[in-house]
Parts: sequence; structure tokens; C-alpha cells
Amino acid sequence: MKPDSTLTLALAVLILTLLTACSREPGEADTPESKTYVHAMDGAPGSLDPAQASSIYANFLVVNLYDTLFRYRYLARPYELAPNLAAGLPEVSDDGLTFTIALKRGVRFVDDPAFPDGTGREVTAGDVVYSLLRHFDPDSRAQGAWLWQDRIVGLDAWKTAGADYDAPPEGLRALDDHTLQIRLVQPYPQLIHTLAQGYAAVVPREAVEAYGIELGTRSVGSGPFRLVSIDRARAVMARNPGFREEPVSLAAEGYAAARDGDWGLEAIEGRTPPFVDRIEVEFITEDAARWNSFYAGETHFIKAPVAQFERILEDRDPLRLTPELAERFHADAEPESGFVYTAFNMDDPAIGDPEDPGQAARNRALRCAMAKGFDWETRNRQFYGGVGQVFPGVIPPVVPEFDPGMDRSPVVHDPEGARRLLAEHGWTAENLPELTWGYPASVSERQMFEQFRGFMADIGYPPEKLLPRVYATFGDYHRAYSRGELSLVTTGWTMDYPDAENTLQLFFGPNASPGSNVGNFRDPTFDALYREAAPLPPSTERTRLFRAMNRRVIEECAAITGLNRNLLMLWSREVIMRPDRSFIGGYGFRFVDLAAPTAL
Amino acid sequence: MSLPRYLLQRLFHGALLLLGVTLLSFTLMVQFGPDTAFELAGKNTTEAQLEELRRSLGHDRPFLERYARWLGELARGDLGASDSNGEPVDRLIGRALPVTLALVLPGFLLGNVLGLLLGMLAAWYRQGAWDRLVLGGSVAGLSLSFLVVIIALQVLLCTPYGLDLFPTRGWRVDGIGSYLLYVTVPTLALVIVTLGYNTRFYRAVMVEELARDPVRTARAFGASGREVMFTHVLRNGAVPVLTRLLYSIPLVLVSGSLLLETYFGIPGVGKVAFDAITSGDQPVLLAVVTLTAVMFVAVQLLTDAACRLADPRYGAP
Repeated sequence: MKPDSTLTLALAVLILTLLTACSREPGEADTPESKTYVHAMDGAPGSLDPAQASSIYANFLVVNLYDTLFRYRYLARPYELAPNLAAGLPEVSDDGLTFTIALKRGVRFVDDPAFPDGTGREVTAGDVVYSLLRHFDPDSRAQGAWLWQDRIVGLDAWKTAGADYDAPPEGLRALDDHTLQIRLVQPYPQLIHTLAQGYAAVVPREAVEAYGIELGTRSVGSGPFRLVSIDRARAVMARNPGFREEPVSLAAEGYAAARDGDWGLEAIEGRTPPFVDRIEVEFITEDAARWNSFYAGETHFIKAPVAQFERILEDRDPLRLTPELAERFHADAEPESGFVYTAFNMDDPAIGDPEDPGQAARNRALRCAMAKGFDWETRNRQFYGGVGQVFPGVIPPVVPEFDPGMDRSPVVHDPEGARRLLAEHGWTAENLPELTWGYPASVSERQMFEQFRGFMADIGYPPEKLLPRVYATFGDYHRAYSRGELSLVTTGWTMDYPDAENTLQLFFGPNASPGSNVGNFRDPTFDALYREAAPLPPSTERTRLFRAMNRRVIEECAAITGLNRNLLMLWSREVIMRPDRSFIGGYGFRFVDLAAPTAL
Repeated sequence: MSLPRYLLQRLFHGALLLLGVTLLSFTLMVQFGPDTAFELAGKNTTEAQLEELRRSLGHDRPFLERYARWLGELARGDLGASDSNGEPVDRLIGRALPVTLALVLPGFLLGNVLGLLLGMLAAWYRQGAWDRLVLGGSVAGLSLSFLVVIIALQVLLCTPYGLDLFPTRGWRVDGIGSYLLYVTVPTLALVIVTLGYNTRFYRAVMVEELARDPVRTARAFGASGREVMFTHVLRNGAVPVLTRLLYSIPLVLVSGSLLLETYFGIPGVGKVAFDAITSGDQPVLLAVVTLTAVMFVAVQLLTDAACRLADPRYGAP
């Protein structure tokens, strides 16, 4: 082969490679008048199938691609529910057991080849029934069954009887195409919240049958956007042209001028969302890359990495950006809907609650001493930029049941008290047990463990008796603590809905591993209170019960808790929005607008 | 042995190697890998739900049955579907591979061509100032962390902190112009970190070849320096050069692109592999391992053929 032809061949291969490596899809190009909002996320979704929308990242996309019966008002804080696909709030029977929900008429799924003629059909109550039933289909790999398990009449039996979609259970019925009825086993005040989650998003049966597990990378919904493309680096959504016309009423969305007045939101009053033509969601897990991309103007929104706080904040209380950044960006700190904590494994005889009452009392003293020795303020400063909120117990400040007047001594660093408590119960450096602390492999997790070991050394716990267990993936770590292989389980809980029940269930006995009660806390008093409170709607009585449960967790020193991470969010001044990064934040996308067509 | 027969023999060995690699990787993933059921389990799972997930994933079946089934599917060209999002693995890799090729090709070529030229320069002026300069630069290059280079280049070339000439990240390629825009910084990063290794290796090869009898004879006959280096030394050193070049391809494609793709947000094979590792996505991981093994076997065959053509003594008994 001559050199000329070799060169030609090489060029041809290069051009062919380039052509196949092109990432733009047909119809994806911007037009001069189009508005594209680019959102940076610090993680990527797994599956986009609503039945598997278990992460914040998946949920953000799912609630935009599909409809849920209810959603959260855009600006209202504390969070308030509003009808979405539902025509109004549910009619609830006097005994609180029957919910009747009317659906909006004329809502259609997007066009898709999954439908017989490729045209999206109307969304019906039967679709809602089908979508919820999928969580109880053993073949669906669904992850949301825990929300409705043992709650809806006949649902669990439906599963054991073979999961026949054509014979729905008694408690979950479409009365007609636009009316859904749910009958409960006992009152479940959180039901309406569960119907506002990505898990409850409405999928057409045709799409599930056509695409099977591939639905994880497609979307056939009726939400404000439709999926254009998704890969490991980003997702692109385009406005759903058939989305129902519902003009914005800022008052109805919970607008408060004193709080929201600086963000230009008045511009969307009376207009019909969605306002942008495209939303590009960039999955950027690396802090440095995420910040560089935002600072360079390539993304409109970012949850600021903690490592950048020193550089970007002039003051933390009240929050103030440096003048240079304040010219370009808005900033807001939002309390995380959730918290971080370390649970003691109560099944571990070395630290838990063994049958011998004497040993149980000594173990309780050991747990309490470790909690006293833990310095939350230092943890907050070093790992959360000092903007987190330390609080006692497991009811975080973001929910209405939080008690701001609660005694804060459980979160006050008291190494002297810890040493005294250990000595009073006969614990010495020699007889303190070896404890294991696990974490998925990462530098920051290791640093947190070493900091914990340092805190404990300060109360006289020999560092060599606190053993790290490192896991390659979160799944491995999950498996280890679910099998009770660890003495201490450090984790974070992102709330599914803004109700303290969602965090208190983390300590409910029947939810022990592999459930969400990772510390296997089984306290008869707590469990009795939980059962008593479960059917109650939000009320003074329920709050009293919730707070009593909270105190039980603290009294028993079941966990070292807690810290509510405050999330610092920055967004470009050309964007009109009020961001929310919590589990329910995805609902805000439809209200995002740009001051002018912008090509990034 | 004739070349076709020799290659046939190597192909047979390659098939055995592939079988061994797949068995080993399958065993490691099944016996020691993450339990995907826990990755896919919801927040408040039960043992019964975990069992359902294992059944749905086929993980409740005996090991040999699982391996035989996977091998059968592989033979039919079916790589299965991602456990994470259900996307067919062949489609996932088919989309990611061209992106990775387009991303690493310029850096790979430049790194090797520059390394070869610098290696030749250093070898020709062995012990001289050029040699010391090139070797010093190589050591400096070797000492730099890939991650540091990436972040430094991002800040210097892609943000308002520096020159702000290129996009910080992403892969919105729809033509040669946008391709150059997105590939330049990753290419620079790749060249900077590979140049040191390449230069030292090629220098060593050239130094060895320069000391051989045919080269001395050529010089005695009055051949020019250029003629000596490009006609005699480079040709005689073709076997190690080709071996290194070709054997680098599978590694560069998979592991070499991992950091680049992660930091520059490029949806290539490295990112696919990284995500599969962190999420315990076994079908994707197995496909990537198998693909790497297939590439190694193919490269081995290609290297053997190329080396036999370059040097008929190669592979002779």
C-alpha cells in the first residue's frame, strides 16, 4: 500500500469515527429563539422507570417526564401538596379509609411507537392502578412497594395470587376512566404524599409491555417534558407540546414577596408552563469539574461543593456571596430534607441491647458516652462547610414536627461527661469492645471515620479497637449492614415526603434490617408510640407522640444524631427560578424560565 | 511455519485465552462482586423482596448454569441488559466506543509519535545535552498525576480563572469544529501524561538498536544520520515499537479514558466501565472485560502479523 493510500485510509477511519461519535441527535439543535436551561446534578440516575425511581437524581427527571396525581406547590414552605394529574385533592371518607380521586380530563401520553398508531392516548384511572400495581409485580424490579405494603386492601394478596393486572385488588380500583378509588386497611395520612412521588408516576401499560426493562432509558409519560436522550453524562428533555395548559398563579404556588421577591419570579405570573424549550441535565459527580463548569457559564445551576465555600462565601450568617459572584449568581441555602446520623447496631452484643439487663445497661452507657464524645460542630465545620444545622434526635428542622425548643444537650460535645459515664459503668481502655465502622470506599468517608476515631480517642476509646470496614460499592456496604456485620452504621436519609413519620420509621422495630431501621432498634415503647401515631393525621396529638418517640431514641442512645445538611445552591441571574434540591425538587423544572433566549 | 498457519494457531490460543478470561472474570464477579440485589433494592426492603430481585436477575441459579447461559448469549452476540437501567449492553457500548475512539485517538497518536521522535533525538545524542533535556522532561512528565494535569488544564484553558478558550466538559460534537473544541484539552492532558513514558521507552529501544552491528556498518558506509535513524534503527526497532503501540490500544480505550471521560463528562467506554464498577452492574462489567479481552486477542494477532511482516525472524522457532 502506498503512503498516500495509507493516509487516506487513516483519514477515512478518523472521519467515520467522528461521525459515529457525534452526540447531537436529530431535532436536538437549538434555534436562535429557543430557551435551554442547563442544570448540573452531583449524581446520575439509574433507571428512569418510575417503578425504580429511588434516588433524588432519578426522581428529578421522572416527575418531569411523567405525571403524578399530586405535586408540591412550587414556593410554599413548609411544603404543601397540590393536585397535578388529579383534578383536586382527594375526597376522604369519614373513617379515613377510602380515598376517591378524580383525574383531569384530556391529559394525554406523549406520542410513542409503543401505542398502536404511535399516538399517545388519554391517561386514565386504569393507568394509575396499573402503575401502582407494578410495585407488587415480582418481575418488575420495582422499589416502591414499601410505601403501600400492608396499607391497601387486597394489594399484598394480589401479589401472592399471581399479580394479574386484569384483576386488580379490591382496594385499588378505577371506578371509571377518570375516577380512582383507594381503600385502606387502616388510616394512612401519608398516602397523598406517596402519590406525589416518582414511584407513583403514571406509565401506560403499552410502554411497559413494549420496552420491558428498557423503559429505564426511555419515557412515555404525560409530564411537562419528554425525553430526547440520556447517556451516562447527561439527559436532555424537550418541552412536551401537548402538556395541559395551566397558567401559573404565584399566590397559589405559595409566593412570599419578602422571601422570593429577589428572583424575578413575578415574570411567570399568569403564563403557562413549561417555559423553557429544553432542559439539559448534566451529571457531574466530581466537585471540581462541576464548579469549573458552572463558573465558566456552561451550566445554570449548581449545588455548591463544600470545598468551594471558602472561596465563594463572604459571610455565612446571613449567607452572602463574594461581590464578584453576587454580580453573576443568585444564592440560597436550603435545609436538606433529611439528615445524617450514625446508628448503633442493637443486634451487636458488644454495643447493642443484649438480654442480660446488666450488660444492656452498660452498653447503653457506652453508646451514650460515644454520643457525648462526638463533636457535631467540628463535623459540620470540616465536612459540611459549617452551614449544616445540628439538632438532637431524628426529627429534622425541615418538618413541622421539629421542636425548636428541645433540649440541645444530646448534641453538645461533652468529652468529660463521656469519660465520667464510661468510668461509672466500669468501662476501661482494656475492656472496651472492638467495634466495626463501615463505609463505601472514598477519601471523605475515610476522613470521617478517622475524625470519629479521633473523637473517641479523646474519651479514652483506644483507636485500635475501632476498626474500619471498607466496601467497594454502596451495594456492598448496604449488604454488610443489612446482615448486621457492622457495629456502627453511618448513613444519610433523604426524606421521601415532608412528614416526620418518614424519619421515625427508621427506628421502628418491624423495619429492622434489611429494612430502613439499619440499627435494628427494637424498643417496645417506641414501637407502641409509632403504632399509635400511624393512623393519626397531622395534629397536636400526633406531634406529641412523634416528639415522645424522638425522646426515646435519644434516651436509649440508639444513634449518634443528627445533622441537617444545608445545601448551598447557586444559579445564574439570567434564570428565573427558585431551586429546590430535595426529593420533591424536580417539580420546579416546569416553572424555570430564562430572561432571554440563551445559547450557552 | 507459514504466516496463515501461524495466525491460525495464535487464533486458537486466543480463543482459549478468551474462555479463560471470561470464566475468571465471571467467577470473580459472581463470587466476590457486589450483590446486585442490594444495589437495586428500595429503601425499605425485605428479605423476600431481595429474593425476588435475585430471581429476576437470575442470580438464584447455580453458578455453572449462569456461566453457561451467559456464554451462550455471548456466542449469539447478546450481551444482555444493564442491571442499572435496562439498556441493552451492546447498544450502550456501541454508542460509547466511537466516542472513546474519537476522544483518545489524537492523544494516543500524538503521544506516541512525539515520544518516538523525542526518543530518537535523545538516543542519537545519548549522554549529551539533548538527551539530558529529554530525559529530564520525561521524568517530570512521569511525576505528574493525571488528575492534577486534568484539573490544571481545565482551570487554565477552560474557565475564566484562566484563558477560557475551551468548554470545561461535555461532548456536543456535530462536526469537525466542535470536535476540535471538545477534544483539544483532553488530548493535551493525555499527551502530557503519556509522553514521559513513551519517550523513555522509545529512547531505550533506539539506544539498543543504535549499538547493533548493522547500524555500525551503515554508519561506516557513510549513511547520514537521518538515513541511519529512519531506515535502519527505526525499522530494526519496529518489533518492540509495534508491540508497545498495539498492546496499548485496549488499555488506552478502557482504563486510559476513564479519568478523562469522568472529569470531562464524556459518555465513553471508560465512564460506562466506571459507572458499572461503582454500581455493581455485572452485565456491563462483563461486557467491558470481554471486550477488553477480545481487543487484546485481536491486538495480539495483529501484532504478530505486523511483526512478522516487519521482521521475518519474528516468531520463528
